[in-house]
Amino acid sequence: MSATLLARDLRYAWRGRTVLNGVDLHVGSGEVVSLLGANGAGKSTLLRLLLGLLRPAAGAIHLDGAPIASIPRRLLARRLAYVPQVHVSPFPYLVRDVVLLGRLPHAGLSGRIGPSDRQAADAALTRLGIEHLAERPYTEISGGERQLALIARALAQGAHLLVMDEPTGGLDYGNQLRLLDLLRTLAADGFGILKTTHHPDHVLHGSHRVAILRDGRIVADGPPAEILTRPLMRSLYDVDVEPHRLADGRLVFMPATAQTPPSPGYPQSHPSESPA
Amino acid sequence: MSLSRHPLLPLLGLPALLGAAMLAALSIGRYPLPVDDILRLLGAALGWRPLPPEEFEVLYNLVVRIRLPRVLAAVLVGAALASSGAAFQAVFRNPLVSPGLLGVLAGAAFGAALGILLSLDWLQVQALAFAMGVAAVAIGVGIATLFGGGAIVMLVLGGIVSAALFSSLLSMVKYVADPYNQLPAIVYWLMGSLAVADLTQVGSLALPIGGGVLLLSALGRALDALSMGDDEARTLGVPVRAVRYTVIAAATLVSALTVSLAGMIGWVGLIVPHIARLLVGPGNSRLLPTSAGLGALFLLGADSLSRTWSTTEIPIGIVTELIGIPVFLLVLGRARKAWA
Repeated sequence: MSATLLARDLRYAWRGRTVLNGVDLHVGSGEVVSLLGANGAGKSTLLRLLLGLLRPAAGAIHLDGAPIASIPRRLLARRLAYVPQVHVSPFPYLVRDVVLLGRLPHAGLSGRIGPSDRQAADAALTRLGIEHLAERPYTEISGGERQLALIARALAQGAHLLVMDEPTGGLDYGNQLRLLDLLRTLAADGFGILKTTHHPDHVLHGSHRVAILRDGRIVADGPPAEILTRPLMRSLYDVDVEPHRLADGRLVFMPATAQTPPSPGYPQSHPSESPA
Repeated sequence: MSLSRHPLLPLLGLPALLGAAMLAALSIGRYPLPVDDILRLLGAALGWRPLPPEEFEVLYNLVVRIRLPRVLAAVLVGAALASSGAAFQAVFRNPLVSPGLLGVLAGAAFGAALGILLSLDWLQVQALAFAMGVAAVAIGVGIATLFGGGAIVMLVLGGIVSAALFSSLLSMVKYVADPYNQLPAIVYWLMGSLAVADLTQVGSLALPIGGGVLLLSALGRALDALSMGDDEARTLGVPVRAVRYTVIAAATLVSALTVSLAGMIGWVGLIVPHIARLLVGPGNSRLLPTSAGLGALFLLGADSLSRTWSTTEIPIGIVTELIGIPVFLLVLGRARKAWA
C-alpha cells in the first residue's frame, strides 16, 4: 500500500483575489507532513483543492500518477480521506454509525451495509482504541473522542492518504499530544498524512516534513528542525521566538524573553540546561 | 433505549399497528360500526362469505364510499408530511425545520385562495394550490441560487422571502374576497380538512405521494452524510447538490400534493420526526420510513378526533396543532439533550 498525492504549480483565485500562486506539494505513504501558515494564508483552500472539492485555475493534482479530476468520486473516496476539524452534529448519531459512513464509497448511496462493511468499521474503531464508544451518541463524547471517531471513519473508507484540517484544534493538551503520537504511529503503518496546524511545536513533535505556505506559495519544504528557524518564524507570524535545543537534541521554541518579561520572583529557567 | 437496541422492531410492528389503526378509524364515527362488520364486508368483497345484498350495500356505502377515502387520505398525508419533514431536517441540518420552510405551504395557500376567489371548481382549486406551492419553492430556491450559489443559509433566506411574498398575496386575496361566501371558504380551507377526499382522487395521489416517500427513504444514508457537512459528504462520495435538490423536489411535490388534497395541516412534519428519532435513533434510512408510518398513525388519530370530538367536525389543522403542542413539549424534554 503505497500512495502519493502530488500537486504541481497550483493556482487558485477567488473573487479576483489570488489565493494560491504556484503551489508545489506532495505527501506519500509513511510520512506526516504539516502545513504551516498564518491565518488567511490559504491553508484550507489548498486542502480543499487537494481533496478535489475546488477546481484549480491552473496546475495539476495527481493521485498515484492519475489526475484526481479524472477519478470518480466514489473511487477517490476509497483512497483519499478527509478528516475535518472536530464538529458537533445536530443529530445524535451513534459513533458506530458515524464510522460506518466511511463505507458509503463502498456500499453506494442506497446500497446495503453488509458484514464486510461492519467488519471494516469495527476494525477501525479497534485500531483507534475507541470500540467502547461504538454505541455512544457522537454528540455526547468529548472533542478528543470525536476526533478519533472521524479518523476511524477515514480508516473505514480504506483510504491510505488522510488530509486533516487542524486535527489538534479544540483538543486539550493531553489529547493534542496523544493525537500527534497516533498520527506518527499511523504513518509508521504506511499511512500518508497531510495536516494543517497553527502550532510550530506540533510540527517539531512528530512531523517528518513541514511545508510553509506564505503569499500563495510554498516558500519552504523540508525537515522541521531545518526549516523552522528564528527568522522564518518572525517573517511568518511577526513574533520573536527563540529556538532551544534540549539535552536529547530535540528542538523547542520559546517566546523571546524581551517580549514576555518574567514576573518578579519567578524562577529563571533555561530550557537548554533542563533535563529531558 | 431498549427499542433502539432492536431497531427492526418498530419497522416490523409499525405496519401492523397502522393496519389496526385503519380498522379502528373505519369503525368509529357518527354511526359506530363494530370491527367485525368491517371484516365481514372485507370477506364479502373478496368473495369468501357473501352478505345479504341490502346489508352489503349499507356497509359498502358507509365504509368504502364515506370513510375509506378519509382514512386513506389521512395515511397518505401524514406519511408525506412526516417523512418530508424528517428529510428537510437532515438537509438543512436543523431539527426545528418543517416541510413549509421553503414556502410550499404559503404558496399553496395563496393558490387555493386565488382559486376560490376566481370561483373555480374544486379540482382546479387543488391544481392551482399545487402549482403555487411548487412555484413558491422554485422562487425561494431561485433567489438562493442567484445570490448565494445555493448555500444552505441562502436557501433558508430565499424560502423566508418567498413565503413572505405569498403570505402577502394571500392577504390581498382575502381582502378583496367576498366576505359572505368566499372569505369563509378560504379561511375554512386554510384550517385543513380531509372531508373532501374521494376515492378516485386519493387513488390518483397515492402513486406520486408513495413514490416520493420511498425516494426520500432510499436516500437515507446519503442524508446522514449530508447532515454532517457538505465537504464531508462530498469526500465520502455523495453528490451533494444532486441529493439536496432531489430531496427538496420530492418533499415539495409531496407536500404540495397534501395541501391540495387536505389544506394546511401543521405540526405533523415538525414533531413526528422527533418522536421517530426517539424510537429508532437519528439514522435517516430507518428514520424516514418510521416517520412515514408514525405520521400516518398521528394523522389517523387526529382525523378520528376531528370527526368524533363534537357533533360538528373540527378542522383537522386545529386538531393537529392542539395535540401537537403538548406532544412537542413532551418530546422537547427528551430530545433537548441531543441538540446541545
